[in-house]
Amino acid sequence: MLTAHELERYDRQIMIEGFGEEGQERLKKAKVVIAGGGGLGSPASIYLAAAGVGMIRIIDWDKVELSNLNRQVLHWDKDIGRRKVDSATEKLKNLNQGVKIEALNETITEANISQLVAGFDLIVDAMDNLPTRYLLNKAAIEKNIPFFHGAVYGFEGRAMTIIPGQTACLRCVYRGVIPGEEFPVIGVTPAVIGCIQATEVIKYIVGIGELLTNKLLIYDGLNMKFTEFKVKKDPECEHCGQLARKE
Amino acid sequence: MAIKVNISPLLKHATNGVKVTEVNGDTVSQCLDHLVKQFPNLQQILFNKNGKLYEYVDIYINGESTYPKELAKPVKDGDELSIMLTIGGG
Repeated sequence: MLTAHELERYDRQIMIEGFGEEGQERLKKAKVVIAGGGGLGSPASIYLAAAGVGMIRIIDWDKVELSNLNRQVLHWDKDIGRRKVDSATEKLKNLNQGVKIEALNETITEANISQLVAGFDLIVDAMDNLPTRYLLNKAAIEKNIPFFHGAVYGFEGRAMTIIPGQTACLRCVYRGVIPGEEFPVIGVTPAVIGCIQATEVIKYIVGIGELLTNKLLIYDGLNMKFTEFKVKKDPECEHCGQLARKE
Repeated sequence: MAIKVNISPLLKHATNGVKVTEVNGDTVSQCLDHLVKQFPNLQQILFNKNGKLYEYVDIYINGESTYPKELAKPVKDGDELSIMLTIGGG
């Protein structure tokens, strides 16, 4: 049940056709894990908190550095040296006190991934490396948790939504990544992609619109172009192939 | 056979900024061979020493993934090939 305060706060989105108070109640009940509190995690968490997602768990092991500030808009000059999860929690709580924010200062590993996402309804992939994305993808499939992928490089971005057992997963599509530990990026790129991920999460929870499933969305900021590529489940996929064969 | 090739902007340093070109071939492999003849710097970016496509290279024909066995996939006149690189930043 929504309070009078919530009805007023979310009035403009409740007005959206197909959204309504029921959609808002679904958001309020939802529990979302955001893996990464950096470039993608910042816009994704800000807009999910603003939309009234009931509980957000942010996972990040890192501390804020000066070179993060061109894109990681949850973190400010005053936060340099602080744990990202602490900086993120402060901002998100100030943005919306009605949202429960849980911050975990953890490195995501094969050993703890299952525990980190247990009991949550959705996972947002806001990582900065492919090996951890694969861990998340595998855990999402094993636990049957919808998974919302995003990635950036320079002015380019990618987004894709994965519904375990139904659609192509990240491992069906990705097999390697451009070498190099550091990647170039301008803040507006993760802003676009993080907002697309948040949009997909909201649509999934509320149950409206068409999801980015079996499609890889390519954002080309330099030429201001969006392209969709069709992808399909790989029956031999090492993450979801078994599920594919069961269908 | 004329095949249009869309080249990822991430490869523009190897193509002198060219984003779209045309190649000939009956398979993805032949098309990429022709592409490398036009832009030799692409050879070491797309292929390893054994001539195998790197895992971070994704090829699409008319917007559809060619994985697996990308190089063997047939193409026909008027098809559109897209060469993309997998990215992982966040």
